[in-house]
Amino acid sequence: MEVSRRDFIKITGASAAGAVLFNGCQVPEREMVLESPVRIPEDTINSFENWYASVCRQCGAGCGILVRVVEGRAKKIEGNPDHPLNQGKLCARGEAGLQALYHPDRIRTPLRRSGPRGSGQYQVITWDEAIAELVSRLDDQAKQSSADTVVIATEPTHGLSAHILNTFARNYGATLMAHEPLEHTALYAAFKNLFGQERAPHFDIQRAASVLSFGANFLEPWLSQVNYSRQYGEFRQGGRSRGHLVQVEPRLSMTAANADDWVPINPGTDGVLAMAIAHVLITERLADATAVQAMTGGAGADALAAFRPEEAEKITGVKVDKIKELARGLAAKSPSLVIGGSGPAGHTNGLFNITAIYALNFLLGNIGKSGGVQFNPAPPTPELAANLPATPMRTWGQLASRIQNKQPKPVNLLLVHNANPLYSLPPTLGFGNGLKNIAVIVSFSSFMDETTAMADLILPDHSYLESWGEDSPDPGVGYQAVGLQQPTVEPSYSTRSFMDVILALAKGLGEKTRSGLPWDDYKGALEDIGKKLFALNRGSVRAPDFASFWHGALQRGGWWDTQSSPTLPNPRPPALSRQMSLPGFEGSDTEYPFYLHVYASNSLYDGRGAHLPWLQMTPDPMTTVSWQTWVEINPKTASQMGFKEGDIVIVESPAGKLEVPVYVYPAIPPNVVAIPTGQGHSSMGRYGERRGANPFLILSSKTEESTGAMAWGATRVRISKTGKSYRLPKLEGSVLAVEPDDYKVVEITR
Amino acid sequence: MNKRPPILLGVIVIVVALAALIGAQVVFAQLNQTPVQPVGFLHATHAGQLEISCLFCHRNADKGSNASVPAVQQCMFCHSVVAGETVDKQTEIAKVREAFGSNQPIDWLRVHRMPDHVRFVHEAHVRGLTARYPGITTQNLCATCHGGVSNMVQVSQVVRLKMGDCVACHRATGAPTDCITCHK
Repeated sequence: MEVSRRDFIKITGASAAGAVLFNGCQVPEREMVLESPVRIPEDTINSFENWYASVCRQCGAGCGILVRVVEGRAKKIEGNPDHPLNQGKLCARGEAGLQALYHPDRIRTPLRRSGPRGSGQYQVITWDEAIAELVSRLDDQAKQSSADTVVIATEPTHGLSAHILNTFARNYGATLMAHEPLEHTALYAAFKNLFGQERAPHFDIQRAASVLSFGANFLEPWLSQVNYSRQYGEFRQGGRSRGHLVQVEPRLSMTAANADDWVPINPGTDGVLAMAIAHVLITERLADATAVQAMTGGAGADALAAFRPEEAEKITGVKVDKIKELARGLAAKSPSLVIGGSGPAGHTNGLFNITAIYALNFLLGNIGKSGGVQFNPAPPTPELAANLPATPMRTWGQLASRIQNKQPKPVNLLLVHNANPLYSLPPTLGFGNGLKNIAVIVSFSSFMDETTAMADLILPDHSYLESWGEDSPDPGVGYQAVGLQQPTVEPSYSTRSFMDVILALAKGLGEKTRSGLPWDDYKGALEDIGKKLFALNRGSVRAPDFASFWHGALQRGGWWDTQSSPTLPNPRPPALSRQMSLPGFEGSDTEYPFYLHVYASNSLYDGRGAHLPWLQMTPDPMTTVSWQTWVEINPKTASQMGFKEGDIVIVESPAGKLEVPVYVYPAIPPNVVAIPTGQGHSSMGRYGERRGANPFLILSSKTEESTGAMAWGATRVRISKTGKSYRLPKLEGSVLAVEPDDYKVVEITR
Repeated sequence: MNKRPPILLGVIVIVVALAALIGAQVVFAQLNQTPVQPVGFLHATHAGQLEISCLFCHRNADKGSNASVPAVQQCMFCHSVVAGETVDKQTEIAKVREAFGSNQPIDWLRVHRMPDHVRFVHEAHVRGLTARYPGITTQNLCATCHGGVSNMVQVSQVVRLKMGDCVACHRATGAPTDCITCHK
């Protein structure tokens, strides 16, 4: 072989590049230097690790965590094995909490806007100035008797923080609202109607023999992911006979991929299928006779004539035989559990869907049973029972028009904490347009998200690893449990806990606002709750005096009483609806041929995790794509329209359009396209912003008919080419796949 | 220009790249890595001749995950009095006194580094081996992984500390071999 001079240079160049490349694999030099002090510290043991029990705040579930702290620095977060909710397990979002603590783009001091709104120009102010300014602004409004022009927007919360917020807002006269993008309003409304409880029931998945889930992505971010995932492990491999899981939903989610059977269904028709299953259960005498009597008013299957399987097939797209098989399967494998949420709730007929789904549990005799739907007792003290549920989107729409029209009253002061309505409310609602009419916007966020970027005053909150808190999980675990959140590290920056700020405001605003809030800080409030728990003298921590009780509870991460049996609801079987309710959609099927299925990203959730690089780089469990948004399109549709993977397309709804790359996904019906939430932030720190697309931007402002909740499934779209293409960042295909003899690759043909 | 199939060039590039990769592996996964420490500390004297327990200085080894490197103050327990017999030793001890006097830490260099994605806990290993060999001296116990440090002038790595070494010993001693034992 001859090698010319030119080739030689090329080769040496390549190997030099290789050397540089692989040099990156070496351990960085700084990691080879050991840190040791000069003097032996009196209060810490060098290199010794402390594990502090606390509560995770990366979503609303309230899992118990243990934080490994070495020399005052949090190093790792693990699940707390003692905590009844997650029992030592934790999800990726929980693990990534460290990055929220150490994030380089955290807001480090209170800020006052110095340039035009949205310009990002701020000046640093002190906490005394910040609190004084806010107190004087609130005081001004109160003196002009326009306290009702103040709106406090936060995330849905419960327990002591809800008690403090509710009391503060009531005393002062402000409007208190909670925002959650993929809200559970319809779900909780159904729970209240069916079970007579404001709290979610406990699904005893681990002891069920079969589970039928309508769109409830319980292995993904839905209600209490880690608890359900842990129970799912028991359900499958817990030493009893293996549980049978059927998942009904238009798109194959990760939960559906884990199921024994995935039943694709036309979007929003889950309630009709549930009623058809009820029809089969009744006609084949598989249902509890007394329940049938009560639920049909004695009419039996005739009451459900509208839902005969033959009729249901036309609407749901699920074959008659399949409907019968589902019904018989549930009856044969008892105890069974029927759950639903997420997809079916996010339609204009969400409440009908969810009610029909959960009503099946009465027919199957699953209520209050082991392996069925169990109930949660109320938390042990009235403060812990306080609740601040999500404000339905319809009410947010009313607020948006009130802001825009200044009628009946303007909004002069908007306080925002842990909510980002500017990102996740559909723009057609007009919330963003109206912001210029609000005199002062105050944010308590740790990060410069979309809403905070419009703020005039920023009073940054601590990270949850730096502050006190409490959470009685909802959904709970079937008995009373209170998780305690304690600071695991000293605050890194000049931040202050939101709850401490609210208490400081209450103090500054005088006796009327302060009544019922006697505490100087949240820690004091929490200790008062602790004293009430101590006085119960039952449960996991018992001690001769309060100090030992309190240390014991903090050390274990909370207090729980497995024996607690306060009165649980004993709901009577509800009357089944005789009327069919079908979903409504924005956009006609001729102009907009595809249903848009929006689902929560497994790692970024509804967008609140987008600033954390660990979550950004976590591949989606189904598509393996990371760092991006994509639109899932059936291969048949894709080939008809001439799309291949990575082609950037315009997804257009009557409300707006997005540019997104295509991911060809065989497990989605040809008339449905799916986009995950989470990306497309215009402002969210260096890792989260200007990346991917935000599907909330093209959602219609349709709401669930009776509850007013966001109907995020009620939008139809059309798709067109841009001619641009992009290589999707994904793991799939990066390793050669082989097809084993026993497991042939199947093609989904429907 | 003579024409050759471009694939040949591709193959050459790949071969060179692989060589670089393997070379790099050899370079940074080498055994007997013996960094020159900022102070010529003699394990042979302290752990060997004087038979000071390893735990006297590495006081966290039976308590937590890290064995820990002592504070300079710990050296001064003795070296505020002991100045050294030879000129060489006096020079090194002077460095320690200087560091303590000027309140500067000594940047010791790591000899043993576990691979990424492993959580190694010294305490569990000290506890397990002590239970298995009652009355064992720390010198002998620690030598299981660290070699005969009490004979070393400069400490070298003698066990590779790769997963194979861990698993072999875990199997031999009946310690758990679940993935989650170490990878968590």
